[in-house]
Amino acid sequence: MRGSDGVIDLSEVQGNILRGYRKERVRHLVVQVTRAAGGRAWIAAASARDDTRAARITDGADWKGPPPEFCLNLGLTATGMRALGLPERVIRSFPEAWVQGMAARADIVGDWGTSAPAHWLERYRDPERVHLVVTLHADTVDLLDAGERAALALPGNESLEVVGRDDGWRFDGDKVHFGYRDSIAQPRFEHITHPGKFDDQPKASLGTVLLGYDSGLEEVRWSLPDPAMLGRNGAFNAYRVLEQDVAAFEAFLDRGADELLAGPAAEELLPLGSESRFGPDATRHSAMREVLAAKLLGRWRNGTPLALSPHDPTPDPPVPLNEFDYVDDDAGLRCPFSSHIRRGNPRSGRIVQRVSNHTRRLVRRGFPYGPAWDPAHPDDIERGLLGNFLCASYEAQFESVQYDWLNLGLMDPRITGSNDPLLGANEADSSWFSLPTRSGTLTLRGFPRFIRTRGGAYTFLPGMPALQWIGTYRG
Amino acid sequence: MWLRQLVKRIVVRVWSWIEPTEPLPGGPRMSRQPTDNLMRTMNLVMPLKDKTAVGRARAALVIGSSLDEIYSGLDNVGTVHVARFAIVENNLLMFSFYDGDFHTYIRDFIVTLGHAFNAVVELIEDTPPLPCWEHVEEFIDWVHAHDALQLPDDPGGLIALVDPDMTNLEELSRALILQLDRNPNVQLGSYRSYPGHSAAQVREKLGVGW
Repeated sequence: MRGSDGVIDLSEVQGNILRGYRKERVRHLVVQVTRAAGGRAWIAAASARDDTRAARITDGADWKGPPPEFCLNLGLTATGMRALGLPERVIRSFPEAWVQGMAARADIVGDWGTSAPAHWLERYRDPERVHLVVTLHADTVDLLDAGERAALALPGNESLEVVGRDDGWRFDGDKVHFGYRDSIAQPRFEHITHPGKFDDQPKASLGTVLLGYDSGLEEVRWSLPDPAMLGRNGAFNAYRVLEQDVAAFEAFLDRGADELLAGPAAEELLPLGSESRFGPDATRHSAMREVLAAKLLGRWRNGTPLALSPHDPTPDPPVPLNEFDYVDDDAGLRCPFSSHIRRGNPRSGRIVQRVSNHTRRLVRRGFPYGPAWDPAHPDDIERGLLGNFLCASYEAQFESVQYDWLNLGLMDPRITGSNDPLLGANEADSSWFSLPTRSGTLTLRGFPRFIRTRGGAYTFLPGMPALQWIGTYRG
Repeated sequence: MWLRQLVKRIVVRVWSWIEPTEPLPGGPRMSRQPTDNLMRTMNLVMPLKDKTAVGRARAALVIGSSLDEIYSGLDNVGTVHVARFAIVENNLLMFSFYDGDFHTYIRDFIVTLGHAFNAVVELIEDTPPLPCWEHVEEFIDWVHAHDALQLPDDPGGLIALVDPDMTNLEELSRALILQLDRNPNVQLGSYRSYPGHSAAQVREKLGVGW
């Protein structure tokens, strides 16, 4: 990946924003800064252009090959900026959402009930202690451990206290806990060459994720903080620890498959004789479970999009994973307009907010945590996703998607009032999922919240010069 | 009569000195009920810079000459049920019913009719940084600051809003007076003939497209 046109200097951007490292493991350290000057010294050392150091923050410069074997990145919360001794005037010049922090925005994001901050993991429950989120990527635990030791040995380390760690790892085939293949659709950016990547989606402006560029909304630029260089080439990140209730999800697939098989559209959804597409031992029930799983997400569990292959998870020839739209499926017969991927990114499909197609896109970087679910040996171990949702504006992108689309369904009057079936703040007594068929719209009800929030933070990932500015700030 | 008015003013000043009250933010409050997040109200009260008939006429001309653009812009926002403009007591009022998140509503508003609204805002006191599309966050904050306080329809909600720690109901009147001293513009209630429905749902049912 490289920048073109001289529009952007990738060495000034943290390396995990415009592309993922594709490492096998991730670790997020939740860090409290106990002394401002020491914390700043650590940031100065970590962000210095000094290749002799065992650990330095990885930037996005052209690597001419694979990324470094160990990658280090840094996000700061508003309370972290305060703990680092930056003046309140500077902190207040950032957008309100970041200044308030994720816990304070719980009602907007949908973090209530069991997802409320009061129920979060201990390390996230007190936002006053969540100052830095230090993210490490490597292929092995040994490399992660060594990288963590090196990072925490940098000058100023005595002023940092690690209050918690979130470890995640990549499952085979980029699967996540509900069995879906993840990380398929990511924005590609203007002025950036992405070797080997192509799709037919419009390229996103750099301002979709970085401050200091056109936002993608006509003429709109998001405000920079004061000083402006502190914001330039930085990105906001909603870091979320999302627990997935696999048992409840699989139980709903069982019940939902029964309902669909007994309903008027059973043969339309699963033509007789097509069960073999779902494996040699597939029954009508097991196959209908997969149909329902696909309808809930908008893709088959192997990633094949319903928009291109509505009846077959493994079409021959295969279909592209990210070259589709919804403009020719307004009725949602192939991909329901209530499915997760269509709610989160309606592409060019008809939506109520006509100016918003393609404008609320997020860069998503996620790793599963906890052991893979084994249906033969059910357990109560916590498992889920360590999700990073990067954007240039929380309010215009992450929160708008969460509030208006995932949790209210405002983009389409046919689903307004319902929540996203997978990520929504559902309650069993009020949840519903619309499944359009040629026999009419079927409505599945009574499913709980499958994904609950266990913690997280709104962090700002400053550009490299901004990190140096913070690190060398003297008041 | 004038003496009574004077005494009221003095008493309120003394109360507010003894018991400083933070002005509550305007606009709708957060709700987890989907029905509460549809057909929400915005009551912008924007004091004109020029409080003469000339100023009012200028505002009328600026709004009047932009109405086509404003109406088509509101149409494109897609989440607006009703919007109207008026001048009352040298304040330019914009009252509307809309669906969903306030920030998103105003942001889409800027994107679709920022040029028209820019000209309107230039007529108002304490003008925010312009053009609005280059100062989106400040502009949204400015709109929010001009959105009138909304009092809940029920007494319980009123208490929870003006003084959640209240133990004696007799204190409600004083708490309300002190809040309205800081927040002179206030919405007292809003009737919705079709609660729980979005503008797009109504349009869809009417067959006029959404």
